[in-house]
Amino acid sequence: MIEDLLLTRYNYVVVVLLLGIGTYMLIENSNLVKKVIGMNVFQTGIFLFFITSAYVEGGAPPVVEHGGHGSTYVSPLPHVLILTAIVVGVSLTAVALALVVRIYAEYGTLDENVLREVRADE
Amino acid sequence: MTLTLLEAAILLFVIGSAVTAALLRDVLGSIIAFAGYSLGIAILWVYLQAPDVALTEAAVGAGVMTLLFLLTLVRTVRPPSDELLESVGWRGATAGGALAAALLTTVPSLPAIGDPDAPVVAGEVTQYYLDNAYGETEVENVVTAVLAAYRGFDTLGEAVVVFAAGVAVLVVLRQGEFV
Repeated sequence: MIEDLLLTRYNYVVVVLLLGIGTYMLIENSNLVKKVIGMNVFQTGIFLFFITSAYVEGGAPPVVEHGGHGSTYVSPLPHVLILTAIVVGVSLTAVALALVVRIYAEYGTLDENVLREVRADE
Repeated sequence: MTLTLLEAAILLFVIGSAVTAALLRDVLGSIIAFAGYSLGIAILWVYLQAPDVALTEAAVGAGVMTLLFLLTLVRTVRPPSDELLESVGWRGATAGGALAAALLTTVPSLPAIGDPDAPVVAGEVTQYYLDNAYGETEVENVVTAVLAAYRGFDTLGEAVVVFAAGVAVLVVLRQGEFV
């Protein structure tokens, strides 16, 4: 059972682990920059799920020459979705980091716990 | 697809660098571990026959993203750290572990990796794109054809998101005062 999981669905096991690690970072790391890194780890976990689902044994990258059907190709659609998602992810990260810079300028700290205390004192 | 040694090594590297990024106390170290992680992921995309995604990941994930993190670090603070690693907190470990455990129970019902009968690969949509993309758009790379032609509105939406993010960054940073 476990051996079967690791030998035939290993990428999905890695997906699950990455989602777990991402969640851990979002909750446990008190530094805001590291929280953003955690968000990105979570995100790439989902990307891996999509790209793995597009893979087919012996498949070639989906570049068809003159509409030929010579060999098997991997599915192009998940690739497209993930290309979009990567760019959106970078936009998200940029906005998050801009907010982090502002928070530091305003409160002089990036630590979640210190930040909470400072805000409670206000 | 059977698990090759090289691929197993890359997967282990990816997980290892993610854990390193999570546990390193030093933020700069964490960012560097994340850059390595992105590179590992990009190599993984090549293995999964997704060269377009690999290029984007290497340029944007490992390149631009690392730059953004480093710029943030320049403008904020790198907290001094005496110890190398953070101690593992139980709250996050419980939540992350519970999520992973719940998701792991669904993994056996997924199709095996590379299964030619898997719904995504054998599905109607995939076959339609592979059969008709060149005839309808004259683009040999089906990923490009779908991105720019079939799902062109989706890509327009993506451009809108990037624009909105650019505006948001400028507003948040109060351009003029900061840059």
